Amino acid sequence: MQAPFTRSTPKPPSPEAGVLSSVRGSLAGIVVLSVIGAAGSVVPFIAIVELARALMPAIDGAPVDAARVWLIVSIAIAALIVSVGTAFLSGVVGHFADAEMQHSLRQRIIRHLQRLPLGWFDRRSSGAVRKLVENDVVALHQLVAHSIQDVLTAITVPVISLVYLFIVEWRMALAALVPLVAILLVYPLMMRGAGEKYRQYDQATQALSGATVEFVQGIAVVKRFGQVGRSHRRYSDATREYVRFVGEWTRETAVSFTIVELLASPIVVLAWLLAAAVWLVGNAGVAPVDILPGILLGLGLTAPLMKLGASGQFLRNATKARQSLSEFFGLAPVSAPDRPETPEGHSVALDDVSFGYLDSHRVLEDISLACAPGTVTALVGASGSGKSTLAKLVPRFYDVDEGSMTIGGTDVRRIPSNELYRRVGFVFQDVQLLRASLRDNIRLTRPDATDAEVEAAARAAQIHDRILQFARGYDAVVGEDANLSGGEAQRVTIARSLLADAPILVLDEATAFADPDSEASIQRALSTLAASRTVLVIAHRLHTIVRADQILVLDNGHIVERGTHEELVASDGRFAAMWSDYQRNHARSLPEGAGA
Amino acid sequence: MIRRLLHYCSPRARRLVIAELACVVIAAVLQGIAFLLLVPLLRSLFTGEVEAASGWLLVVLASAVGYVIASWFASQIGMKAATSVLDSLLERLGESVVSLPVSWYSTDRTGLITGLATQGAMFVSTMPYAILRQILAGFIAPGTVLIGMYAFDWRLALSMTVMVPIIALGYRWLSRGIGRGDRAHSIAVAESSNRVVEFARAQPALRTAGEGSIADRLVSQALDRQHQEYRGLLITGGSAIALFAGLVQLSLTVLLVVGAFLAIGGTVDIATLIALLVLGVRFNEPLVTAGDLGGGVAVARTTIDRLDEFARTARLPEPAEPAEPAGFAVEFRDVTFGYGADPVLRDLSFTAPSGGMTAIVGPSGSGKTTITKLVARFYDPEQGTVLIGGVPVPDLGTAVVEAAVAPVFQDVYLFDDTIVNNVWIGNPDLSRDEVIAAATRARVDEIVARLPGGWDARVGEGGSNLSGGERQRVSIARALLKNAPIVLLDEATSALDIGNEIAIGDAIDQIRADRTLIVVAHRLQTIMTADRIVMLDGDGGIRESGTHAELLASGGAYSRYWRERVDAAGWQLSSTD
Repeated sequence: MQAPFTRSTPKPPSPEAGVLSSVRGSLAGIVVLSVIGAAGSVVPFIAIVELARALMPAIDGAPVDAARVWLIVSIAIAALIVSVGTAFLSGVVGHFADAEMQHSLRQRIIRHLQRLPLGWFDRRSSGAVRKLVENDVVALHQLVAHSIQDVLTAITVPVISLVYLFIVEWRMALAALVPLVAILLVYPLMMRGAGEKYRQYDQATQALSGATVEFVQGIAVVKRFGQVGRSHRRYSDATREYVRFVGEWTRETAVSFTIVELLASPIVVLAWLLAAAVWLVGNAGVAPVDILPGILLGLGLTAPLMKLGASGQFLRNATKARQSLSEFFGLAPVSAPDRPETPEGHSVALDDVSFGYLDSHRVLEDISLACAPGTVTALVGASGSGKSTLAKLVPRFYDVDEGSMTIGGTDVRRIPSNELYRRVGFVFQDVQLLRASLRDNIRLTRPDATDAEVEAAARAAQIHDRILQFARGYDAVVGEDANLSGGEAQRVTIARSLLADAPILVLDEATAFADPDSEASIQRALSTLAASRTVLVIAHRLHTIVRADQILVLDNGHIVERGTHEELVASDGRFAAMWSDYQRNHARSLPEGAGA
Repeated sequence: MIRRLLHYCSPRARRLVIAELACVVIAAVLQGIAFLLLVPLLRSLFTGEVEAASGWLLVVLASAVGYVIASWFASQIGMKAATSVLDSLLERLGESVVSLPVSWYSTDRTGLITGLATQGAMFVSTMPYAILRQILAGFIAPGTVLIGMYAFDWRLALSMTVMVPIIALGYRWLSRGIGRGDRAHSIAVAESSNRVVEFARAQPALRTAGEGSIADRLVSQALDRQHQEYRGLLITGGSAIALFAGLVQLSLTVLLVVGAFLAIGGTVDIATLIALLVLGVRFNEPLVTAGDLGGGVAVARTTIDRLDEFARTARLPEPAEPAEPAGFAVEFRDVTFGYGADPVLRDLSFTAPSGGMTAIVGPSGSGKTTITKLVARFYDPEQGTVLIGGVPVPDLGTAVVEAAVAPVFQDVYLFDDTIVNNVWIGNPDLSRDEVIAAATRARVDEIVARLPGGWDARVGEGGSNLSGGERQRVSIARALLKNAPIVLLDEATSALDIGNEIAIGDAIDQIRADRTLIVVAHRLQTIMTADRIVMLDGDGGIRESGTHAELLASGGAYSRYWRERVDAAGWQLSSTD
């Protein structure tokens, strides 16, 4: 449902057009250069014919017209230079256009990532993003850098050659046409059912890839349990199937493929043209010099066509990549407010909110709650009860389907993004550190923070001492010389949140026990972070929220109970039952005397 | 290149590839001969001797037929060879996966090997037909023509021959230039796509940072860098290709100019000259094609380089005669070990007696998990010795260690199969009922009760249908089934719900009685009940060791650690601290 007060984002230029729009000018250049190059490449052959005409009289002892010979040679050399030069230039323009396109596409991917709803990143594996920037963008290379030139050459060279041939000697021209027509007739035969086969090939590849992934990832397990044979067998089965498919496929296409190749091969064409030439000279009274163009140019007709055929697979990939890029760019970004408003105060409220990831299934239904500024609200419930989803509505990972979600009395959809995230901070279990210095990681959300401020935040987050243990201290780079444990990385993100100083905070309490050895430090850091903020916490261990201002019990997308710990225990409902279960288990899992 | 490829081929594949290339060579020579025959044929036509021309035509037709036959065999054998090479490469890859040491997999190699299996192998297998064939034909056919030209006019032939070394040098330069640019470019590509993935992953944090943040800068820099390297590659690669094409065309220019001189000087048979010119302009075309394909060879080479690398990766030394361990106590004697730079463990010595539980505690990064990996012989120590039953591990050999040790590590890998089959891996000789009985002892039955399909429920790819704690329970069940005398348990650090904590605790109680149990311990219950606690100091050594009671009583580092952990267990969150 589209909320009435947010304008739908202006429709971006059709994603289809968008993919290639940045290089339109260069594409025109490629077209012109390719045509000139292709035309120029025919000239030297014509020059040889003219040279032969100029020299012919000399066979019978006449003198050679030297000036004419040199003129022809000069034209031929000039044409060679122009042809090689323009073909090269066209390649250069094409490749540089491709480079520009790749660069601008990657930048566009980045910009689009910045505008997608955060929820998208919850579900998307990084593999999808990697595929976009690595494979899909590169797959367009063939389209821009090669195909245009290939197609134009495949058309221009035969057309110019044939026109010239028909002018000089139409029978030789017809003979030169024969291999071309034969190829065009056999080619569709070769490609019959290719689409289906490519699909099967993709499937076979996927099956092999799956088996390989399992083989590699499970190798440590199977080795330790002496089960290498079993796992290896699975891999071997998959490879056998793959090889069988590939073998069958090549066998099926081998005959027609070889026939096409032989038809196009210079020597078969040569033999055919020579036979025609001898016949025409011997039986039809054609002047020997007039069969030369047919032989010279006839030999060059099939090669461009074959090159075109060979690039078919690349083009198929490019088309697929273009589709997947278009789909990505077609994803709706977070809607921006039409009339932005600034929230007043730091309260959080949900009013009759319903939400589902799919239209068919509601994860949250009729949720109403209010968090007063400076209080802790805890969400409890079994996994799948909707508590994590609810928490993610506040920083706008998702937008509600029905009802409203307000901060300081303002609907979050009316709050500009920068205002919203200045107010709402969050610490979830997945740690998001960049491969950058620790200092930059901490001041990520406030680049202007001074070193003293960064250090103060790190101290409060209980990570300062650890950072000083690195030789480069705050300049140590995460993943290079700063190798942090899970809990340490957690504390860096807590320091980041402290520095950002957002008045509203959404936390996952599981963060605190993600690393048992630094649990106490993380807890201290979280306590500092939570102080005098509006806190919404996803609670896993019930004793941690005994002092919360309100506890909301979720079940199956509904709030079924709410109140303080004492109230809920006293009311003897669902929470009371959870609490007594929890206490019993907690006592068992803790050593005697270690309980709270 | 061909030799390196043949090295990875089965004997059958090798025979096929050689036969294929032999056919290719024959076809290329015949192609050259047919082109050479243009000269006498055209000369006869120009001088009006149609009879003679017809004779030459028959010879041309004969060599064309020979060419067709040789090419036909080249293609038919080539198809078989490709399949056979593909088969050999995949088989070799599989063998490499098995024989590479476990430590090699400590960084994720999945993408690399999957890429080799699905793309690299395919590319290499089609290379002899798709690429080598054209390159061979590209050099052999013109070569044949060149040699033959001497029979007609040595001056023209010589002027062509002069070009040969120049073109060959150009070709080398071309391949090298492309290869060099390609390496720099691939590094930049890897860097920038890692940045983009990082950028996507960190989006939630970056929304708070707004636009123009440090991350924006990093990702833009990486993209610009990639763009620059790509342009650099285009400039080096492009100029190399241009130079090569230019050199090839230069040979044509030389031919034209020399021909014109000879014709004007009247020292050449004009009919022969015309025929040679026709030959000359078509003579270099296969060469240009060969130049275009040089890059393809470089791509195939990287796949073969990878396979070579696998073969070179060091294996752990294995004894000729595996020694027999006396018991299953584990001892570390002055062990020093690290993953490259600084040692993680320094002169570490301790003993984990059999029939008891040794708990290892310490700050993160202090080498707790490394200790278990050394026992399992993922690595050998740099200095000092790890002993099992009094025998140094290298004297036992990996096979004996593997048989004696059951690991329960944090990164539990489950196969996309049923739960019962995943446990069964622990010991395939047992019956299904025995497997279920053992799994029930690790309380896998509780997980099974939750899943539709029960014991035959599938666990999803990598076990994705189970939580971390549940996966570890399956892994414990495997270890119970294996019934190995040494059990290594790396307790889950991630959030375990109470049910999982209790289940894992119970399983530990069952294991510890008559085995050597070494636990990287995080749960208070585990630590407290251990027969012996080894507390690492974070500098590669041991700070304290003893029983829980002894260590608490001594009032040292351990007792401080214990107090903090217990406090943490009672933590409460509030905004009014």
